[in-house]
Amino acid sequence: MNVVDVIARAFVVFGCSLILLAGIGIVRFHHVLARMHAAAKAPTLGILSIALGVVLSVRTAAAAFTLLLVVMLQLVTSPVGSHLLGRAIYRKVEGSVDSIDELARDEGRVEP
Amino acid sequence: MIAAAFVLLSLAGFAFLYRLLIGPSVADRVVALDGLLMVVICGILVDVVDGTSVVSIDTVLVVSVVAFVGTGVLARLVERQGG
Repeated sequence: MNVVDVIARAFVVFGCSLILLAGIGIVRFHHVLARMHAAAKAPTLGILSIALGVVLSVRTAAAAFTLLLVVMLQLVTSPVGSHLLGRAIYRKVEGSVDSIDELARDEGRVEP
Repeated sequence: MIAAAFVLLSLAGFAFLYRLLIGPSVADRVVALDGLLMVVICGILVDVVDGTSVVSIDTVLVVSVVAFVGTGVLARLVERQGG
């Protein structure tokens, strides 16, 4: 096991600890929007780090291309899915969690 | 180090599973299910690093697309009939 393998495994362990951070956040936070905040952001960087570790460990062009596709897909779809779910939560589960409601102001439902 | 990565991933999986089981609203369960699929993706990748894997790396791409489509459909469900 040479130096590159050690670096690759370090990247993998770092990414897994970011995933665990998202898990801790989803258990500990109190609002559903706060839990979504924890679960939407940390795993993206975690998957990016783990994919970097896999590319450094496997070292083939096919694996690098596939993982580039996975990371790009993750970077594009994670905000889109979070936006869809956040809008659904805002409309049906709980609205604004503090006294400021920018979306109601921008849609003209309340006076600014 | 691979064993440490699997331990971290399984702890995260139990955390998401806990929220999936007790989550007060449907939206909590959707968030937890999405996170659980992230754990599956990372588990496959860690297994590939381990070297003795029989799972192809293309599986990750499929699971990623399934996670996105599932989140979108379940968000529509939450928006239509409430959480």
